[in-house]
Amino acid sequence: MITGQAITKTFKQRGNVLDSREVRALRGVDFVIPKGGAASFIGESGCGKTTLGRIIAGLESHDTGEITIDGTAMSSLRPRDRQPYFRRIQLIHQDPYSALNPTRTIHQTLNAPLALRAKQTGRSRGWMDERAQEVLSLVGLDAGSVLGRYPHQLSGGMRQRVVIARALTVDPEMLVADEAVSMIDVSLRLGILALLKDLRERLGVSVLFITHDVATARYIGDDGELYVIYRGQVVERGPVDTIISGPVHPYTQSLLSAIPVLHGLEEPGAQPVVPTEALDESHHDEGCLFARRCPFRTGKCESEVPVLGLGEGIPQEHACFHPERRAVVAQPAGR
Amino acid sequence: MTNASTAPGVRIGDLTVVYKTQAGELPAVSGVSLELAPGSITGVVGESGSGKSTLALSLLNAVQSPGRISGGSVEIDGLGDVVGLRGESLRKARGRHIGYVFQAAQNSLNPLKTVGKQLLDLGRSHGVDDLRGLVREAKELLGRMGLDGARVLDSHQHELSGGMRQRVGIMLALVLNAHLVVLDEPTTALDMITQATILRIIREVHEERGLTTLVITHDIGVVAEVADRLAVMYGGRIVEQGPTGAVLGAPSHPYTKGLIKAIPRLVGSLDEARALPGRPPTLATVPTTGCVFRERCAERMDVCDSDDPPALAHGDRIVACHAVGTSEPAQLQEEVA
Ligand SMILES: Nc1ncnc2c1ncn2[C@@H]1O[C@H](COP(=O)(O)OP(=O)(O)O)[C@@H](O)[C@H]1O
Ligand SMILES: Nc1ncnc2c1ncn2[C@@H]1O[C@H](COP(=O)(O)OP(=O)(O)O)[C@@H](O)[C@H]1O
Ligand SMILES: [Mg+2]
Ligand SMILES: [Mg+2]
Repeated sequence: MITGQAITKTFKQRGNVLDSREVRALRGVDFVIPKGGAASFIGESGCGKTTLGRIIAGLESHDTGEITIDGTAMSSLRPRDRQPYFRRIQLIHQDPYSALNPTRTIHQTLNAPLALRAKQTGRSRGWMDERAQEVLSLVGLDAGSVLGRYPHQLSGGMRQRVVIARALTVDPEMLVADEAVSMIDVSLRLGILALLKDLRERLGVSVLFITHDVATARYIGDDGELYVIYRGQVVERGPVDTIISGPVHPYTQSLLSAIPVLHGLEEPGAQPVVPTEALDESHHDEGCLFARRCPFRTGKCESEVPVLGLGEGIPQEHACFHPERRAVVAQPAGR
Repeated sequence: MTNASTAPGVRIGDLTVVYKTQAGELPAVSGVSLELAPGSITGVVGESGSGKSTLALSLLNAVQSPGRISGGSVEIDGLGDVVGLRGESLRKARGRHIGYVFQAAQNSLNPLKTVGKQLLDLGRSHGVDDLRGLVREAKELLGRMGLDGARVLDSHQHELSGGMRQRVGIMLALVLNAHLVVLDEPTTALDMITQATILRIIREVHEERGLTTLVITHDIGVVAEVADRLAVMYGGRIVEQGPTGAVLGAPSHPYTKGLIKAIPRLVGSLDEARALPGRPPTLATVPTTGCVFRERCAERMDVCDSDDPPALAHGDRIVACHAVGTSEPAQLQEEVA
């Protein structure tokens, strides 16, 4: 199990000496990802999803807060003692094209991490070959036809499977998939999503799924938790389908309203929510961070800060003074 | 179909575009026929490599070497067949008559020049005398799209967000008053809220200015939101075309059916959605005889291996599939029963 408490991160973006801007990428985020469980982070670009994913994978430091892996607080360890923990959290990012070295065959790509493990555990070459076959078959690729090939000889979907296979060579505890299907052809996207779900079910690997496309988050498992993140803060949190069928935060409602309606197949939701203005990082930080863009804001929203928590009659956590269910999601036509 | 008097019609006829490769010249677009009605928005959807960008470039006769248009015609009202245009007349047509927003427009601005400078360059290269008028027009368009025109014209690319750059691209395509506009992947790499904003702007500007618009995308959702008509491309062919709602609601071609089934959806059973088996073809793997889709097709028959299915009209649709027409009456009966 991996948990985070009150994680914060501020980037200093340097323009010139006079103009150095601070970006509060994360403003105190809590999360829990159970062993073999699934969680999804959704939100607009720039809201901090990738930063959080990188912190969880040990690729980025955070300012305050605590990451705990299987009961061990990372702050209690020296940096190099954290490595064995973070090695078991593997990041899979958006672009399967740049993730693989174009001059190496798939065999060479898989062999590098396997050789390291073989050395550490005193295993043989035979074990490496066996394991390479095994991880490829886990991701649905035929070792015989793939091992000798170079990345450019594979489709985007196959490359992403190779990236996942490489992550599996270290027996990961968790895969962090950051927009991992957004560059994959539509007809193949579900295949990758089904693979992530399958790895959870068969190997007990937990999956952290980062996306701006809420619909894909459903496919890694309906037991998954959805975290809606806005400007570095979780504004709504609960089971995926609970939030999709009854979002209460106007920001979540804006995200869901923005998903294209497949006219002919679907009818638009009855109460779509459109933010009153575009995201602007320089917006002031008083009150609710979404207030400036919220069609339902009141005076209170501009001065007081809503805290994430449960409220009466609403099954999911939310950070809003005026939570209200709205029918924003498109429904199948002819209902 | 508003302002049809200014919006040009476009008739693409039996268009073939080939690229020179080590294996000889191979077609990226094969015998495509498509009509853009004046004042309509047509969406072309297909997976990567299906030939969408190549088709879009053909509308400007702008296919670059090692590619060339090897056959067919692109008739545009007021311009004639652009496949025959060369040199100065071709250059003038681009910009003045046909506005084009390239794929990855977010990254196609010159990083060293302000947007305003690039606007003036564009005006000069098209012999615009009234540059002040051009700037005024640009500001108005940007304002129309929810941006502060003066500020944007003073900005460099890196000072603008992806959504802002995309709007700048649309402004540059429209500012010379083109009435045929081609948008290649106008929202790729934008998040959902920004995408929804851009799509709304595309629709509104289309109506207000009386345009004929072609939107190219890999995302069916984008087409579903903006397009009146939808054309589905696969392996360089248009396999199905028709009114957007009709095609999405009752797809005829097995590829269209499979593609729609493969879209992750917000509601409904998770098990209904399925990835298509196999993978999209590349230039080198597109079959040269028979149907381009047969290897991934659930309705494959013997004839599909030998004969390329012709694109035939079926009611409101044009479909290129041997199985369509034979299976359609059965479906109709089911619905009646
Ligand atoms: N290395 C960095 N240096 C400076 N700013 C950064 C860096 N990484 C991210 N940011 C900023 O932090 C914010 C959150 O970014 P990110 O985590 O990438 O968001 P998301 O993945 O949700 O799009 C953005 O404003 C971004 O510009
Ligand atoms: N300059 C080029 N040289 C060789 N092949 C090309 C070139 N440009 C595109 N192609 C090939 O033509 C096919 C269609 O490409 P494109 O029109 O870009 O498709 P799409 O826009 O649908 O992704 C692809 O197989 C692509 O690899
Ligand atoms: Mg990101
Ligand atoms: Mg393209």
